[in-house]
Amino acid sequence: MDKTNYKHMWVYVEHDGTVIHPVSLELCCEVRKLCDQSGDKLIAVIAGEIPNTEVDKIRDCGVDGIIDVSGTGYERYNTEAYTNLFAELCVKYKPSAVFVGGTTNGRDFAPRFAARIETGCTSDATEVVYNPETTDIEFIEPASGGKIMAVITIPTLRPQVGTIRPGTFKYIPTGRKAVIEEVREAIDFPLEEIRTKLLSHEQAAYDPEMDIANAEVIICVGDGLSDERALSRYRELAKMLGGKIACTRPLYDREILSYKLQVGQSGVMIKPKLYIGFGISGAVNHVAGVDAEKFIAVNKDPDAPIFHYSDYSIVGDMDEVCDAMIEALKAKAV
Amino acid sequence: MLKLLVCIKQVPDVDQMTIDPETGKINRIGVPSILNPLDANAVAAALNVKETYGGEITLITMGPPSAEAVLRECLAVGADHAILVTDRAFGNADTLATSYAIVSAAKQIDHYDLIFCGKETIDGATGQMGAQLAERFDAAQITSACLIHTVDEANGTLVVERELENSTETLEVAMPCLLTMEKTHYPARMPSLKGKMAAKKKVITTMTSADIPDLDCDRIGDSGSPTKVPRTFPPVMPEPGIVIDEGSVTASVAKLLTFIAE
Ligand SMILES: Cc1cc2nc3c(=O)[nH]c(=O)nc-3n(C[C@H](O)[C@H](O)[C@H](O)COP(=O)(O)OP(=O)(O)OC[C@H]3O[C@@H](n4cnc5c(N)ncnc54)[C@H](O)[C@@H]3O)c2cc1C
Ligand SMILES: Cc1cc2nc3c(=O)[nH]c(=O)nc-3n(C[C@H](O)[C@H](O)[C@H](O)COP(=O)(O)OP(=O)(O)OC[C@H]3O[C@@H](n4cnc5c(N)ncnc54)[C@H](O)[C@@H]3O)c2cc1C
Repeated sequence: MDKTNYKHMWVYVEHDGTVIHPVSLELCCEVRKLCDQSGDKLIAVIAGEIPNTEVDKIRDCGVDGIIDVSGTGYERYNTEAYTNLFAELCVKYKPSAVFVGGTTNGRDFAPRFAARIETGCTSDATEVVYNPETTDIEFIEPASGGKIMAVITIPTLRPQVGTIRPGTFKYIPTGRKAVIEEVREAIDFPLEEIRTKLLSHEQAAYDPEMDIANAEVIICVGDGLSDERALSRYRELAKMLGGKIACTRPLYDREILSYKLQVGQSGVMIKPKLYIGFGISGAVNHVAGVDAEKFIAVNKDPDAPIFHYSDYSIVGDMDEVCDAMIEALKAKAV
Repeated sequence: MLKLLVCIKQVPDVDQMTIDPETGKINRIGVPSILNPLDANAVAAALNVKETYGGEITLITMGPPSAEAVLRECLAVGADHAILVTDRAFGNADTLATSYAIVSAAKQIDHYDLIFCGKETIDGATGQMGAQLAERFDAAQITSACLIHTVDEANGTLVVERELENSTETLEVAMPCLLTMEKTHYPARMPSLKGKMAAKKKVITTMTSADIPDLDCDRIGDSGSPTKVPRTFPPVMPEPGIVIDEGSVTASVAKLLTFIAE
């Protein structure tokens, strides 16, 4: 394959018919930087109906072009129509890269269309870098439990497909280009070839406790937690500081907290003003998900790696420190 | 009769891996290998289907000869057959090449109605295998499936609950279908002594590249893998921040709170 025949980087715009998923905007902003280095155009691909005011948000991220797809099969997300769409578009336009938000649905079809067109797919990179020498994108991610960072590339095939978790990159729009090339594509996917039928869709009641991605204060507990009962004091502290409880993966493994509260590379990315981590060693897989203004760590092991990421820390027993914080805050309140 | 296939992977216990401080390379020696945790849930889901609707469960894994251990472990909880796809030529594969090898091997043995995977592994953790296996089986797919409501063998359909970020959807889907399983409703099964004894005696079908007639050798192993890892490096650790030590927990906490309030 001659790589030079494959040009431009694409971002798949995920939406629910009303609003665009934030991850698509984050990706446009980050991939804009890659395109500035590689000389590629940044192209957003949108399928299905979406208000023009929403598309404006994409335009403001500095895209050079938009491929706007209409046709049957895109009203509700389904594996078949979206896999087919990207397989067809990639054959027709030969993009150099396709970025897809690492949502449940993005992770559902991206690897599948990559397999259909026999190209490489990567997931959960925490950093992407353009290498001008090889002209490849370097997808960088923690590996082996965060003990090393691995650089992953797709050196001989195109397009390079990558899914990226929401919150990995920042949404900082660089402004609208004077010229945006907008192309319309009509691709009908036969409805009878969709192999799933939606019987019901239940919106989980919005639980503010589960919305840690947007919380300003996070009390994060790690595997140092002795048992479920010990959790109540952290809940109390969180309440006093107006924050929310989150956790590392072992607490999900131990079935103490929901995976929706797991912070990190394969969980939720958080960007609080204040993060306090109790009994957390500081694996890269976890801290990669933390972008805090103030980072505080409490751990009994003075050599715990987490102290490298913290602004302030206390070496000591997590429960004791938490209790002392609660007492001190109570004393202040009266 | 329903034919069920469960894909399982043997993984290193990543929490026990260490880094050689001199070379900066991962030290795998002495690190125990285990069944990928979510694959135990996938096996449990298949057993549930078998117990309710009847059927036959085949396990498949691609890996080194030692991966036989995870096959025996899952035979012990009630799987019927096991396939070990093993050959140096398959090694060093990415998900594209792994899915090609596994599906090529499985197709030699039988045709499957339902295929189960874990949602992701603890080592590669790409979560890509399910969708790529489904593509190569030309099967429907339900990723992040959390509950199988009903299986209608006569109609060739099943009803599955799928977990999304803030909602769940209930879908009717046509077989053949591949499911990647969440652990919620399918806790790992524990083997009985009898199960363990029986598993020891079961014959495991071993397949090498030579056992797959039309295998395209350019699509397996390292050469068939478009994704590469050109280099690794130790994570850059920032300089440590300020450690507060005022002599007592109370005093240290008081100081910490002033920093928080700043
Ligand atoms: C591909 C992959 C993806 C991953 N993704 C994620 C992810 O998204 N999020 C995530 O969190 N993890 C993730 N992990 C797991 C990650 O590598 C670590 O294993 C995990 O973050 C460790 O959690 P921990 O720090 O709570 O536990 P540990 O590493 O076990 O640390 C516990 C800490 O608690 C301290 N401690 C114990 N008792 C006390 C006490 N009484 N008082 C004070 N301190 C105490 C100990 O000194 C220790 O430092 C991933 C792993 C892999 C392989
Ligand atoms: C640090 C690291 C990063 C990697 N990054 C990439 C990447 O970006 N792109 C890429 O293509 N490859 C990548 N690989 C290679 C990839 O991990 C292997 O191809 C692996 O064989 C399957 O992928 P997985 O472990 O990610 O599986 P996942 O997709 O996470 O596994 C999901 C399920 O698929 C089934 N399954 C997975 N492997 C097997 C198997 N060998 N036999 C039977 N069933 C199986 C299991 O049911 C499992 O629960 C990476 C490997 C490592 C160690």
